[in-house]
Amino acid sequence: MATRSPTIGLIANPVSARDIRRVVANANNLQIADRVNIVLRVLAAAGSCGVERVLMMPDKGGISAMLSRSLARERGLNHHFPDVQFLDMDVCSTVEDTFGATRRLRAAGVAAIVVLGGDGTHRAVARECGDVPIAGISTGTNNAFPEMREPTITGMAVGLYASGRLSDGQALSPNKILDVVVDGRHRDVALVDAVISTDRYVGARALWRTETLRSLYVTYADPGAIGMSAIAGLLEPVGRREPGGCAVELCPTSESPKWSLLAPIAPGMVRPVGISGWQRMGADQAFRVGHQAGVVALDGERELAFDPGDVVTVTLRENAFRTLDVSRCLHLAAADGLFRVSAP
Amino acid sequence: MSTDPLPLKKEDLLRAYRTMRTIREFEERLHVDFARGDIPGFVHLYAGEEAAATGIMLHLGDGDRIASTHRGHGHCIAKGVDVAQMMMEIYGKKGGACQGKGGSMHIADLDRGMMGANGILGAGAPLACGAALAAKYRKRGEVAISFVGDGASNQGMFLESLNLAAVWNLPAIFVVENNGYAESTSRDYAVAVDSYVDRAAGFGLPGVTVDGTDFFAVCEAAGEVIQRARAGGGPGLLECKMIRFFGHFEGDQQAYRGKGEVDDIRANQDCIRKFSAQVIGAGVVKPAELETIDKEARDVIDRAVAEAKAAPAPTAPDLLTDVYVRY
Repeated sequence: MATRSPTIGLIANPVSARDIRRVVANANNLQIADRVNIVLRVLAAAGSCGVERVLMMPDKGGISAMLSRSLARERGLNHHFPDVQFLDMDVCSTVEDTFGATRRLRAAGVAAIVVLGGDGTHRAVARECGDVPIAGISTGTNNAFPEMREPTITGMAVGLYASGRLSDGQALSPNKILDVVVDGRHRDVALVDAVISTDRYVGARALWRTETLRSLYVTYADPGAIGMSAIAGLLEPVGRREPGGCAVELCPTSESPKWSLLAPIAPGMVRPVGISGWQRMGADQAFRVGHQAGVVALDGERELAFDPGDVVTVTLRENAFRTLDVSRCLHLAAADGLFRVSAP
Repeated sequence: MSTDPLPLKKEDLLRAYRTMRTIREFEERLHVDFARGDIPGFVHLYAGEEAAATGIMLHLGDGDRIASTHRGHGHCIAKGVDVAQMMMEIYGKKGGACQGKGGSMHIADLDRGMMGANGILGAGAPLACGAALAAKYRKRGEVAISFVGDGASNQGMFLESLNLAAVWNLPAIFVVENNGYAESTSRDYAVAVDSYVDRAAGFGLPGVTVDGTDFFAVCEAAGEVIQRARAGGGPGLLECKMIRFFGHFEGDQQAYRGKGEVDDIRANQDCIRKFSAQVIGAGVVKPAELETIDKEARDVIDRAVAEAKAAPAPTAPDLLTDVYVRY
């Protein structure tokens, strides 16, 4: 088995879980101090499993500053942590920071990138990470993509993989993606869902008014998920690893839809959604959006406004990027006795 | 269902543009006149931050009260305070909003619900709690809003006010105008918890962070927070991430800012340019309509400055008026 660089990347979004859903839906708030504690747990666990160096995205949202103080305190207590270096980059406090940091981490040859954020943060990393696998930790609002898992375990799995004790085939899983093109001008991706809304502005970004929803495209749809993908999940579940996706046509419940579906579109918000129909999406098959003008929301956030006459297409791609399968890594480690420090 | 491409009617969009453009013209003129030595005292300019005041105040009426900051001109204009009286006040002339005795940092107009700019950092927060308590007793669905900067949010009275508003479930909204600099001190150095939403959550208040240079983001989020407070849902916090075009005060050399930072934000993060591009791009407003407002705003400021310069100064006996208030 090839030995890998025991260097990993880490991107922690300081502003995930800060949007309007805290006001309209009682969504949770994950404080900066909690995010820093998560980073510390990942670092400690990854360090215990062989990671010697971590390259991290700097930020002006408080994580870098508090983490630096915390690491100084921890080292003063003689607690072991990998060497943490912040990437040398300008911080603009937008998604451009995540794009830029991911490109730098990829160029630096890190073994994997640990991501703290919601679906939107993971989308930004996935856009730029190429072959570098992602290990996701949920710190967002409606997270369908990153797992809810104790970060210590994620850190251990990353350490196993980064130190070469698990191979690509053992540790990694392929992921689907939605390729969204607006009139040839803008191109972006979604990891879980792309939604067409009648809004013509980005505004406060989150989606929560069901009467504006017109189309939904998903890479996978879990009936146990929350957010827009839950709509498809409650109609026709699609597995994260199975081929294809699902396209759903939506309409206001006031316009006599074929079906009215109760769906958990945001934390605490179970709302009726009008359904006109749905169909499976095959890979590489471009779906042309029927609505004439509006905004495309990617993984729950309004991103791309389009005008009458603009052609908007959504295409499902398979094997688009790789993620670390944390559960499988730990099961393999247990089976192979990778954590046994002495013979029984 | 509405077929409007934007969340406001055209007349409201034009009103918002006029407000933002008037604030910008007001501040740009003060920048010039202060450098020339025409204006006594200090001024702290709001240019670059217009979308926040405008996007919030669009949801308020005269019965809703606001407590402003030392950087209060934009709040005053957006709340409907007379621009000519503001200019006279800043010039220290009789006929000003406070008869020329307060200056830039004390402009108030209670008829418009503007309780005053405030030179004491963070001091607006407890005032807003008082106004919100009154509103709660009146039961007319009114709210009170406290504006604070990112630096002032470290003040104890701001945190005490969050606590009081939560305990009494007041219709109070705390707006943190986060322009990244507490005077010249970065947040990384001076703020232990950089997210103001975190501070709200510590007191059980919902908070939301928006791009304060995006009028529509501010307007949408503010609408939800304010509507919630009016309906009895209690206090909330809105953090607007924004930038200021000028220094902390006029005369600030801004050595703490990066090279080219101001040029970049004027070119790429100007909230008025963003707004114009959106309303024109959506086909709701024509460029000529905005140009007409640009000219009218310039004319308003020209007249205000001329009136201010021509107005008399307060006299010595005026020092003894307006000192006490009879209730």
